[in-house]
Amino acid sequence: MKKKLDFVLREIAGDLLLVPTGKTALDLNGMLTLNEVGGEIWKMLDEVESEEEIVDRLLEDYDVERAVLQGDVREFLDKLRELGIL
Amino acid sequence: MSEIRTTAEPRLARAIHAKAAHCGYPAAANFELTPRCNFNCKMCYVHLSKEEQERRGRELTAAEWIDLGRQACEAGVVFLLLTGGEPTLRPDFPEIYRALKKIGLMISVNSNGFLLRGELLELFQNDPPYRINLSLYGVSNETYADLCGIPAYDRIVENIHALRQAGVDVKLNMSLTDANRKDMQAVYETAVKLGVHTQAASYMFPPVRVTGEFGKGFRMSAEEAAQCEISYNRLRMDDEQFLRYAKNLEEGIPNESTDDCEGQVGSEMRCRAGRSSFWLSWDGKLSPCGMLPEPGVNVLETGLQAAWEQVRDRVREIRLPAKCTTCPYRHGCHVCAAMCYCETGSYDTAPDYVCRLTRHSFLLAAEEAAKIGGSHEEKA
Repeated sequence: MKKKLDFVLREIAGDLLLVPTGKTALDLNGMLTLNEVGGEIWKMLDEVESEEEIVDRLLEDYDVERAVLQGDVREFLDKLRELGIL
Repeated sequence: MSEIRTTAEPRLARAIHAKAAHCGYPAAANFELTPRCNFNCKMCYVHLSKEEQERRGRELTAAEWIDLGRQACEAGVVFLLLTGGEPTLRPDFPEIYRALKKIGLMISVNSNGFLLRGELLELFQNDPPYRINLSLYGVSNETYADLCGIPAYDRIVENIHALRQAGVDVKLNMSLTDANRKDMQAVYETAVKLGVHTQAASYMFPPVRVTGEFGKGFRMSAEEAAQCEISYNRLRMDDEQFLRYAKNLEEGIPNESTDDCEGQVGSEMRCRAGRSSFWLSWDGKLSPCGMLPEPGVNVLETGLQAAWEQVRDRVREIRLPAKCTTCPYRHGCHVCAAMCYCETGSYDTAPDYVCRLTRHSFLLAAEEAAKIGGSHEEKA
């Protein structure tokens, strides 16, 4: 999946922050916070082709029903699309 | 009418600072890249000529600043202010800026705006900062010539327009003195027209770092500074807001702070200095804030993390004036450790200038509120 905006993922005292770099601040001049699973998804975005691949990878580490995880992943990706990041 | 927000700080930044202060790591850093400046403002707390700067020490190199930025990131810093003097005077400013931005810092830049065109405009257009805090000292070349020694107004306004057109977030700061207070309303109106955040300061710190003298500086009397503070609040608040502000003062309720420092009166230091932020001077000395020359731990000798810990622990020992804790004006007073130090040379002595400023602002706010109340009654 291709990110349209550039961020640096920072981990500070247990918090995950996305800090805009390059021209990103012209579109989104502020930081975003992620929870642990959001951070996992963010890190794999450049390597995966589909939502299903993200779900497959997360199911290797999290004990959760596939349908529930699918819903959560879709919600997260929709939020990124809404912000113009994906 | 364009909306002007007087507090520009998002809630997330406040939460990050609160957590950092609680846990003891820095969330914000201020890198003072140079004490040199192309302006010579009468009230400046840091400006040194090139000769004086060289006599006092050497400026850190670009490589040193970039390495310190990395160390700051590792320590937990998210927000970085690049300041001076005039930071863009350094030919290597773009190199430092780009490198620090790339490692994930939210960078703001303090500037007088004079050089923000050509290559620097292009830099900020292609790699925008979180914000440029630009000093706007007046609305004429004459005011600039008088206060800053350079008739720069026309050029600066052109530069602000260009930055805004490029989509760069700009905040205007106005330091008020005898030489430019007449322009205060016009500066505010200019900010409204430009649609940018604005903040005015009528309290000027004595420039202890430059002169070594406590309680002295180019500034208005405390009473005149109070007059400017109230007049500025009147400009930015509608009748209802001002009446609430004045009522809060009268009833002992703190008004929302428009000051990034968020100082509070009494006992330990409660502002961010040395609790969640630090200042690194042009020659590599780490202190709680830019107004304080001490403790000034040398980061090149100790490393940034160890220097931060020394400063943080020193700040925990500082106690503000006991007198302030029972002062009836404390909820409307901006006093902080740096003011006490710069005014009196000690942290625990109440600074008379600030006391007078505060008392007079209470009086003027009440008078202004009565005028507003009176005019409302006449209309009714």
